Amino acid sequence: MKLKTNSYIVIIVLFLLGAVMPLVLRRYNLFMLTEIIIFALYAVSYNLLLGYAGLLSFGHAMFFGLGAFVAAVSIIHIPGLTLLSAVIISLVITTITGFLIGGLLLRHKGAYFALLTMAFNALFYAVATKWHSVTGGDDGLSISRPEMDLGFASLSVSSVSSFYYLILIVVGASIVFCWYFTHTAMGKTVLLMRENEERMKFLGYNTNISRLILFTFTGAIAGLAGAFYTLHFQFVSISAISIDMTTAVLLMVFVGGTRTFWGPILGAFVYIIFQNYLSDITDRWPLFMGLIFVFMVLYVPGGLSQTIVSIRQWFSGRTGTQDNGPAKAEET
Amino acid sequence: MNEIAVFFLHGLAYAGLLFLVSAGLTLVFGMMNVLNFAHAAMYMLGAYFSYSIMLRMSGQIWLSLIVCPIALFIIGALIERFLLRKVHANGHVAELLLTFGLAYIITELVKWYWGNYPLAVNVTGFLNGTVQIMGITYPIYRIFIFLCAIFVGLLMAFILYKTRLGIILRAAVNDSETVNTLGVNVPLVFMGVFAFGAALSGFAGVIAGPLLSTFPGMAHDILLDAFVVIVVGGFGSLGGAVVASLLIGELQSFGVLLFPKLSIALMYMLMAAVLIIKPSGLFGEEQ
Repeated sequence: MKLKTNSYIVIIVLFLLGAVMPLVLRRYNLFMLTEIIIFALYAVSYNLLLGYAGLLSFGHAMFFGLGAFVAAVSIIHIPGLTLLSAVIISLVITTITGFLIGGLLLRHKGAYFALLTMAFNALFYAVATKWHSVTGGDDGLSISRPEMDLGFASLSVSSVSSFYYLILIVVGASIVFCWYFTHTAMGKTVLLMRENEERMKFLGYNTNISRLILFTFTGAIAGLAGAFYTLHFQFVSISAISIDMTTAVLLMVFVGGTRTFWGPILGAFVYIIFQNYLSDITDRWPLFMGLIFVFMVLYVPGGLSQTIVSIRQWFSGRTGTQDNGPAKAEET
Repeated sequence: MNEIAVFFLHGLAYAGLLFLVSAGLTLVFGMMNVLNFAHAAMYMLGAYFSYSIMLRMSGQIWLSLIVCPIALFIIGALIERFLLRKVHANGHVAELLLTFGLAYIITELVKWYWGNYPLAVNVTGFLNGTVQIMGITYPIYRIFIFLCAIFVGLLMAFILYKTRLGIILRAAVNDSETVNTLGVNVPLVFMGVFAFGAALSGFAGVIAGPLLSTFPGMAHDILLDAFVVIVVGGFGSLGGAVVASLLIGELQSFGVLLFPKLSIALMYMLMAAVLIIKPSGLFGEEQ
C-alpha cells in the first residue's frame, strides 16, 4: 500500500511541475514538451503490449496514424465539430479497428506476430498513400484546431500554452489511467500470462480474450495519442502512419526500458529531445538511430530505467524487488 | 493476347526475384527463428556492390554474380558471429531489434557512400538482347532472372533434402540441443545458415540492379513484398516460398494491368484472405 501512496505522490508532483512549466520554458521548448507528453502516451501504450504482455508489434503506428487521420478527416468534413468530439470519434474508430485486427492477428505469436503487424501497417500506409481524396496522399492534411466546448463555456486552445495545459491534463490523465490499468485484475492477468500462460489457462483464465482486450486497449490509446498529435501540429502526413512511426515508438520504449512503467515516458523524453537536437546538426539521424539500437541491444538490454533502478539499488545497498513495473523476468 | 503474355512473363521475372529474396529470409527464419530485418538491406548492399563492379567491367554481370554473394557471405558470417550470437540469450525481441538497427545502419551507410539517388547500369553482352517467345519479343534478362531463381531453388532443395548437411540442418530446426549433443557444431551451422542467407540476398541484389535500378529505397520496397511472400507461403517453408512468389509476382503484374489504383492493396488483401482461411500460410505447418 505504501508503494501505491508513493506513486500517487510522484504523479501529483509531476502534474504540479508540469503546471508551472509554461512560466519557466520558452515557447519553442513548451511546444516540444507538448509533443513529448503526446509521445509519452503513445510509448506507454506500446509498452503495455511489449513490456507487459510480451507481444512485439511492428505495426503500432497503424493505430496512431489511424487516430491522427480520423481526427483530421472528421474535423475537415464535419463543420462545427468540437475538439473533444473529434478525439472521441478517433477513439471509437481505433477501438473497433484494434478489435478486428487483434482478432485476426493474435492467433500468432513471437516473430510471426511481429511480421504480421508490420504487414498490416504497410497495408494501412498503402491505403493512406493511395486514397488521395480523403487522406491527401503525399500532401497530408492541414486542419485548424477547433475550440473546446465544455457545455457551459467554450475555451480557445489556439495558443501554445493553453493547448499545453489541455494536453497536460487530458493526456496526462490518460497516462495515469494506463498506469491504473496495470494495477487492475485485468492488468495483472496480462502480466501473469506472459510469465506462464499454461498455468493461467489451467486456472481457468481465457488468455486469448485477455490478450484481445489488451491489444484493443493499447490500439485505442495509441489512436488517442495520434488524434492529439494531429491537434498539436494542426497537420497530419502519411509519415504518421508509416513504419517509421512504429520504429520511433519502438526506440523510445527500448531506450527507456520495457521493465518499468515509467521507462517509456523517459524514453519519449530522451528520444524527442535527442531527435530535435540531432536533426539540427546532422542529416544522418537514422544512422545514429541504428547505432543506438544496436548499442542498446548489445549493452543495455534493460534500457535506461533498468540502469537507473540498478544504480539506485547499488546505492541503497539492497537488491529489493521491483515495485510497480512488469517484474524482473525476461520477456521472450 | 500478346499483352497478357507480356504481363505474364513480367510477373514470372518479378516472382523469380521475389523468390531469391524470400528464400534466404525464410531459410534463416525456419532454421534460426530469427526474422532478419536486415535481409533487404543486405540485398541492397549486394546491388550497390554489383553496380560498382559492373561500372568497371563495362556492364558485364558475371563477376558481380560471383563476388557479391561471397562478400555478403562474409558480412553475414561476421554479423552472426559478433552481434547476433551475443543477443541470442536475450530472446526474440532483442534479435529482431538488432537486425532492425543494422538495417538502418546499412541503409544510411549506402546513402552516404553512393548517394541518395537512383543509379542505373545496363547489362551488356547477350543478356541485353531479346528473344522471340510465343510470338512476342521479350528481353533475355528477365528470362535469365527466372532461370536463376529456378537454379537457386533446385540447389537449395537438393542441399536440404538430399545431402547429409541438409539432414543436419533440418534436425537442428527441430531440436538444436540434441543435434549439438550428437557432436555437430550447431553454432557453426547457424553461422553458415545466416551467412548463406546473406549471400542469397546479395545474389538477389545483383540480379535486381539492372532490372529495377539501384536506389536506397529498394530495400524497403522488396522487404514488405518478401514478408508477404513468407506469410502467404507459410513461415520457413521453401515450397511455400516458390508458390507464394509466383502468386505475388503475377498478382503485382496483372494488378497493375487490371486495377491500377488498387495494385498495392491487392497483395495485402491476398495476405489477409490467406490468414483468415489458413493462419499458418498455404504450406506452413500448424504452430
